[in-house]
Amino acid sequence: MMSDYKELFLEELDEQLQLMDDEILKLEQAGESERVIQSLFRAAHTLKGSSAAMGFEEMKQVTHEMEHLLDLVRNKELTVSGALIDLLFKSMDCLKQLKENIVRGDAPSVDVSGRIRELQSFSGAHTVVSFSTATPAVSKPVLNLDTRLKVQEAQERGLRVCWIHVQISADCVIKGARAYVIHSNMSEWGDVLLTAPELEAIDEQGSAPLDAVFLYAGSQSFEELKAQVANLTDVAAVTVEEIDSQESELLNPGAAVADTAAAAAPATFVPDKQAEGEQASPGKAKSQTIRVSVERLEHLMNLVGELVIDQTRIHQVERTQSRRFSDETVAELGQISDHLSRIIGDLQESVMKARMLPIEQLFNRFPRMIRDLSRDLGKDIELAIEGKDTELDRTLIEEIADPLIHLIGNAVDHGIESPEKRELAGKSRKGTLTIRAAHEDNQVVIYVEDDGAGIDPAKMKGSALNKGIISAEEAERLSDREAIELIFRPGFSTAAAVSDISGRGVGMDIVRSHIEKLNGLIDIDTKLGQGTSFKIRLPLTLAIIIGLLVKLHDQTYIIPMSNIAEIVRVTYDDIQSIRGQSVILLRNQVIPVAWIHEHFHIPKADKGRRHIPLVIVGSAEKRLALAVDELIGNQEIVIKSLGSYIGKVDCIAGATILGDGKVALILEVSGIISKLGGKRT
Amino acid sequence: MQVTEQEQYIEFGIGNERYAIRIQDIHEIIKMQDITHIPNVMPYVKGVINLRGKIVPVISLRHLFGLDQETDSKNTRIVVVNHQEDTVGIIVDRVNKVTTFSDIQLPPDRVGGIDGNFFVGIGLTGGGLVGILKLDTVLLHE
Repeated sequence: MMSDYKELFLEELDEQLQLMDDEILKLEQAGESERVIQSLFRAAHTLKGSSAAMGFEEMKQVTHEMEHLLDLVRNKELTVSGALIDLLFKSMDCLKQLKENIVRGDAPSVDVSGRIRELQSFSGAHTVVSFSTATPAVSKPVLNLDTRLKVQEAQERGLRVCWIHVQISADCVIKGARAYVIHSNMSEWGDVLLTAPELEAIDEQGSAPLDAVFLYAGSQSFEELKAQVANLTDVAAVTVEEIDSQESELLNPGAAVADTAAAAAPATFVPDKQAEGEQASPGKAKSQTIRVSVERLEHLMNLVGELVIDQTRIHQVERTQSRRFSDETVAELGQISDHLSRIIGDLQESVMKARMLPIEQLFNRFPRMIRDLSRDLGKDIELAIEGKDTELDRTLIEEIADPLIHLIGNAVDHGIESPEKRELAGKSRKGTLTIRAAHEDNQVVIYVEDDGAGIDPAKMKGSALNKGIISAEEAERLSDREAIELIFRPGFSTAAAVSDISGRGVGMDIVRSHIEKLNGLIDIDTKLGQGTSFKIRLPLTLAIIIGLLVKLHDQTYIIPMSNIAEIVRVTYDDIQSIRGQSVILLRNQVIPVAWIHEHFHIPKADKGRRHIPLVIVGSAEKRLALAVDELIGNQEIVIKSLGSYIGKVDCIAGATILGDGKVALILEVSGIISKLGGKRT
Repeated sequence: MQVTEQEQYIEFGIGNERYAIRIQDIHEIIKMQDITHIPNVMPYVKGVINLRGKIVPVISLRHLFGLDQETDSKNTRIVVVNHQEDTVGIIVDRVNKVTTFSDIQLPPDRVGGIDGNFFVGIGLTGGGLVGILKLDTVLLHE
């Protein structure tokens, strides 16, 4: 039971942390904004509550201090500064560390006391001393419908509605009476809609300072109001706070909320109507969605996978039956089978869609990353994100995160130059990094583009030569394009000094192999002095792919369609030999030919046949003609793993079950290319 | 693993020898299937089969024990066992019966030319000696 709550809590935590990161960034970029502060404050407050409920004491303390700090900003007692934003970001990192610990289930090993002291001393040191540093401590009462209506009415009349917290000094002898006086003073300037505590209930004899809150509607600015109230006798401290639109929300949301937002906009600090709309919408959207655990979706997808397999089998049975008999029941079986396959097709698509998430989830992590990176590296970078709503399989989103982060790190570190260098090169000081996602055909394409220095083929050659990746001879022969593609070779890194960001030993070769594991491809396009663009192509989903069925000796194998460039039939005479390597010439391109038979220890097809089918596989930069014995056809296949007992097998990506019930192995094209394609040159 | 004498075993044969596996470890026993061979794996791993939609690896005891490969007969069976997280099929020449042992002794270093580590013990029955397989070493043989 507890773990259920923990999961829910972690989900909420993720959301709120992301939200806070975004908002702090906004704060840094766009400057102080009432709405952003409010939203940050609310997020910190929510987290404080839920972490306290879950018993995560450290997290509660940190969020409590953040909340306090934000409260001061909200009440204009603290102004937004670079130091404040840094502190908030640091606190976010601290929260993220705490989250990691919770996920792992470790005892909290993060020492938060330092951070908390920092937060406390910050709020102490930087507070704008208004009248007294003491903050009134009476909580605001929840508004009843009647009062909400009054608030709305006042707002519609163009009045500003706010909470006034007043602290009556301890040495005032008749506090209740003083509160009355204040109340009547306020009533002269405007309308007092609510008072807490109720004036009748005030203990006249109390010796502590008395805190009271008034809900006030008037036409003055908040500063004027604050000054007016502070001038009254026995007032020790006063704060004025704009009413939160949620507090005055009517029970019937929708229209009423919009009204409040619209009415509030001209009268108060809230400059952004659209932003108010954003706040109102989640409440509406919530009723139409439910949270489903990934496991359930995963299970659903597996079941659909089974159905797809069985459907192929039924189809096969139906075909053999109709060849043998020609009676009505067989024809009927055919119709049912066709209908079934259509339904399964729809079902598969729906389940697939249910697993899809907008890539936004991943992209949202980048602004903060770019901020930190460009600050550390002394670069000035503008991040442009496009196509946030592009949807893809959630497993893919997770899997593509690391390669993307690596590419972005590279672009910031090696791609975009320092402002000084850019100026010398006649570019704007600010570099632009564009991350773009889109659907193309039945694939997802992600671009990472920078307008930086580009990649110098000559430098690449030199570097590869120094590292002993290529020989001097090879370097001579390489075209510019091939030189640039050296970046994908293992052990290659162009950075002169290994920097913290991109030079951790994981190079572009890892990025590429990672993408190829997902049945994707990566391309690079670069212009010296103008920038570099990486293009990643991914299938929409991982679980079900289109595969080409081929025969090697007596077994059927599958080649993922996404890895296939084309299929040709050649005669033995077409295959030439260059330095012992079989090649074919296809439209003036030399492509090495490989017989995987040798590697799989199976006999080659007899040489009596005149034609050999060749499947040209590979990514843009490397191609390989795979000789097969027979082409069978293409079909949708469900990828299954070979299981932990067998583990990872060279050149095999997994297996699937065919229509006849037999298991067929899926070839791993990237593995085959690195095993057999490497023989060339 | 505590071996108790009341436990039930499935007794099966390879060549002239008799072996047994604890009945709890056995998932099911099926007839010989079409096996899809996997290139470049351990030689005793014969390949994978489709067990009602699940892909299950199959190993050959004959190969593991260094015996000649006998061609499959109508008696050849695949004993599917559950071991830790894995489901693995073991090819045997025939399955004899469910049995119990009156006594189980520690295995000697070698059992009829086969490494003693493959066995948890030697079971005594009226009909003679039966090698009780230790799945840990049989399945995870390097």
